[in-house]
Amino acid sequence: MIEYVIFFFFAAIAVLFAIVVILHRNPVVSALSLVASFFALAVMYVLLDVPFLAALQVIVYAGAIMVLFLFVIMLLNLQRQGEEPTRPVQQFLGYAGSAAFGIALVYYISKYAVLALPNTPFTADARAIGITLFEGYIFPFEIVSILLLAAIVGALFLSSRGVPLPTHDEQRREEHPSVAEGLAQQQSGNTGVVRP
Amino acid sequence: MIPTQWFLLLSAILFVIGVCGVLTRKNGITIFMSIELMVNAVNLTFIAYARQFHQLHGVIFVFFIMAIAAAEAAVGLAIFISLFHHRQTIDVDEANLMRW
Repeated sequence: MIEYVIFFFFAAIAVLFAIVVILHRNPVVSALSLVASFFALAVMYVLLDVPFLAALQVIVYAGAIMVLFLFVIMLLNLQRQGEEPTRPVQQFLGYAGSAAFGIALVYYISKYAVLALPNTPFTADARAIGITLFEGYIFPFEIVSILLLAAIVGALFLSSRGVPLPTHDEQRREEHPSVAEGLAQQQSGNTGVVRP
Repeated sequence: MIPTQWFLLLSAILFVIGVCGVLTRKNGITIFMSIELMVNAVNLTFIAYARQFHQLHGVIFVFFIMAIAAAEAAVGLAIFISLFHHRQTIDVDEANLMRW
């Protein structure tokens, strides 16, 4: 019985904060609401007997990914910038379409996905997950490590202000030594700016 | 033990909220957060079925989805920073050209 109380309490929290995420005008509030929603989902993972993934959810999602979001929002100063209102047609179609989709999903789940639970308990501790991961999924695991490396390189490349190719200034410096002195004076004036 | 369909219903509701956010918002980062919400709803479904069928493969899948969501967040936010440097806004309606 206490399980149901916990489930419905945290389900309500997850849904309420998710609604705040999509309705609030300030992106900082949206991001923090999403963190709260993820914490409630971590409680769901504990209820599903997978405490390892609950820890992962809190550390990776709420801890790392959402902090990245908050950094970007604050870096770009987006909380000051007002968002233009959506066109009414788009607003209506968005709400109506997602409501229809939601009603269809709820209908089919409550009609077809009512399953009897098995009696034996489900054990998914870190040990069992690790054994499964490194016995059957070692190749995808390595592929994911390469993917993360590619994401790091891509993020660095995209977020740098310009494409780091040989710049026009460097070419001119090689061709005309007299220009190089002028450029050096220009750059020494911009103290603290590292980028060309 | 809570039946699986309750978790599936919660997951469906969260997914629909995410869809609604993607369809109605114009701020790129809010759209991105809605996508993260949808990813988490799918994760919940995976784990609910993993417990239902006593298979650890669903849990492993969620593990990989989390890794890919981290990569996606890094690259996506870098794209928004780049877009902001070019346009001084991250309104997705403004970003309608592939190259400027």
